[in-house]
Amino acid sequence: MRAIFHIDMDAFFVSVEELFDPSLKGLPVVVGGAPNQRGVVTAASYAARKFGVHSAMPLRTAYKLCPQAIFVEGHPQRYRQYSRKVFDVLSSFTPQVEMASIDEAYLDLTGTQRLHGHPMDAAHALHERVGRETGLRCSIGISTSKLVAKVASDQAKPNGILWVRPSMEAAFLAPLDVRKIPGIGKVTEKHLHALGIRKVGDLARLDAAFLERRFGQWGLAMSGQALGLDAGSWFDSEIGGASDPKSISHEHTFDQDTADFTALEATIAYLAEKVARRLREHFLYSRTIHIKLRYSDFSTFTRARTLDHGTQLDAEILDAARLLFQKNWTGAPIRLLGVYAGSLESAEGQLNLLDNSKTERWRKAMSAVDRMRDRFGESSVSLATGLQGKYRERVHENPEGLPGKEPRKS
Amino acid sequence: MEFTVSKGDLVRELNLSQGVVEKKTTIPILSNILIETGEDQIILTATDLELGIRCSCPARIVRKGAGTVPAKRLLDYVRLLPDADVNVKFQENHWASLVCGRSRTRIAGMSRESFPELPAIPAPVASFPASTLAGMIGRTIFAISNEESRFTLNGALLVLRPATMVMVSTDGHRLAMVETLSEIPGVKTMERALLPRKAMGEILKLVADSGENDQIEFSSDDNHLFFRFGERLLISRKLTGNFPDYERVLPKEQPQRIRVANAELRAGIERVSQFADERSRAVKVQVGPGELKIYSSLSDTGESEESMPLEYDGPTVEIGFNAQYMLDFLRAASEESVDFLFKDGESAGELRPAGDGTGFNNRYVVMPMRI
Repeated sequence: MRAIFHIDMDAFFVSVEELFDPSLKGLPVVVGGAPNQRGVVTAASYAARKFGVHSAMPLRTAYKLCPQAIFVEGHPQRYRQYSRKVFDVLSSFTPQVEMASIDEAYLDLTGTQRLHGHPMDAAHALHERVGRETGLRCSIGISTSKLVAKVASDQAKPNGILWVRPSMEAAFLAPLDVRKIPGIGKVTEKHLHALGIRKVGDLARLDAAFLERRFGQWGLAMSGQALGLDAGSWFDSEIGGASDPKSISHEHTFDQDTADFTALEATIAYLAEKVARRLREHFLYSRTIHIKLRYSDFSTFTRARTLDHGTQLDAEILDAARLLFQKNWTGAPIRLLGVYAGSLESAEGQLNLLDNSKTERWRKAMSAVDRMRDRFGESSVSLATGLQGKYRERVHENPEGLPGKEPRKS
Repeated sequence: MEFTVSKGDLVRELNLSQGVVEKKTTIPILSNILIETGEDQIILTATDLELGIRCSCPARIVRKGAGTVPAKRLLDYVRLLPDADVNVKFQENHWASLVCGRSRTRIAGMSRESFPELPAIPAPVASFPASTLAGMIGRTIFAISNEESRFTLNGALLVLRPATMVMVSTDGHRLAMVETLSEIPGVKTMERALLPRKAMGEILKLVADSGENDQIEFSSDDNHLFFRFGERLLISRKLTGNFPDYERVLPKEQPQRIRVANAELRAGIERVSQFADERSRAVKVQVGPGELKIYSSLSDTGESEESMPLEYDGPTVEIGFNAQYMLDFLRAASEESVDFLFKDGESAGELRPAGDGTGFNNRYVVMPMRI
């Protein structure tokens, strides 16, 4: 019988801020920036959540809902440091650890009963150790699948432990709203509601073939998930197994919407550079470059271009992204820009006949640049076009290089 | 204008113009075919502004004149008529009325005034057998780039020198070069031009419809290339831009060389490629003492391997290739054997037809894949 633990840190960013400034404890705290700044709430303390503040909400809205809240800037470096501490505690229990994001992890404790005892005992030990060594609280869900463990930790919040006994998975899920299934968002929820499906139990009673006709592959996965099985791309991988990213992306929200071509192009160069750097870190080559444009009115467009060969070079990604931008930008002020690399492959594939020596020179230059960045920091070397496009790093829940999710070694 | 023409003659000539006529109706007149009367013949002209074709067919002229009608509609209708004479009469409102036996039709046309003028044909600079040009196109057309942004690669380079004629195409991953071995009469100076892919396709169609020993008269002006097949004329706009320096790309020397039967190699690659990654089409070629192996790496679909005996005692070399690139050449080459020249897994490999008698010096350079 599998024993999967999902550990989810309680209000992680806020709790880390509290460690550095204990006076924040118990107060409504909003992490993300000043209330008059653009941008969104990265995290909110439980006290702030009572006023309806939640992550991804514009900071200004949060301020309207809860003007007395204390607004603080995020500190990515601190969060990474504490995420690492949590990881170290978890890995002392089992090597089978996968950080799913900066503040949550899956553990596979299958077959460790003799070492750690009953799953509940193991969970209590884990909970206590995380608290003692990091000063942070977490919630733990335990089940036979990653999916149910994740839902259980959510139900256990804050600071709780919930074990779903084997064979009780479907019964545990049945009374919950369909939204509780990870991956069912607003849109799918609306579709399901239209079919009269509100609870996971309703979903479980439906025919898999019906859901597949209605929602395709995702419908098939949902029907399995409703029964508590790990189905669908998010859950079908083994914990601790090396997994390659499906795409690599970077985006930037401007402090002020801009229609300045030079500034926009510089930002694209900066984003392309970051994407290329990460492709090289993962030893991956991309064949499809996408850009995302969001205008002042929040209308959002993504456009893609398929290359005739795989690349991980800044200049080639920039060329493709710039071409897409020039073709598709309406000239209106832009709020957000993103550069994505998809169709990732582990080998370079087709080599170039005409520009081979040029590509080879770029490749050598980039590998030297990477070594310099490793030693002197990310901003030590960059494309001239991108110089004006540099911005302070934003808090991100899925930063690169998470432990347990490290770049594959070639 | 009024004339009478045989249905068979008209269908044959209209067929040749279909590939040229503009399919998208951004400029309506370009969907039309221009019909003009000549001496005991009618002259048919179609163009999409990039490419123009002019052909003729014998006719009995009743009254001189000119008019235009939609090319596809005209062909689709005339094709359905019985094999008999068709009488065509253009009216004041530019409509054409067709009478054939007991069939009567009026087709809405447009004034000839709005039909674009084709450039005048300059004096010919060279003349060569139609089959030679078709052979050269067949050995290069597959390597032309589909990448629209690389527009100088969307056609083939044509080089005419007093001693030879060369055609080269490349998509940046492979390059096909073919050169005639016999002298081209009439060439005084070097001519260099980029011939669009569409024109090459139309030339192949025209050659297929002409006789074995027909000659092509070639001429050019600043912007156009002219190919005259007897009474038929194809005019193509030149592609502008710089074609890559192909001579630099052709390997100077290749340390290893093997000879294989074309049909055997082709069949082997065709079978193995069924199990190649669908997107990359990658297969591996391994040349070792006494044996050539072609295989696909293990994937979700399975794996496959072919082996054939070989006269070779050099070092074992393994090279990854896009199977499609190899097959393109092998299918175009009519020779029984081909030579494969190579160095290592990082350098360009080369295929050449083996033996004499092809009439061409043909080289095909393919960059490997890193798998």
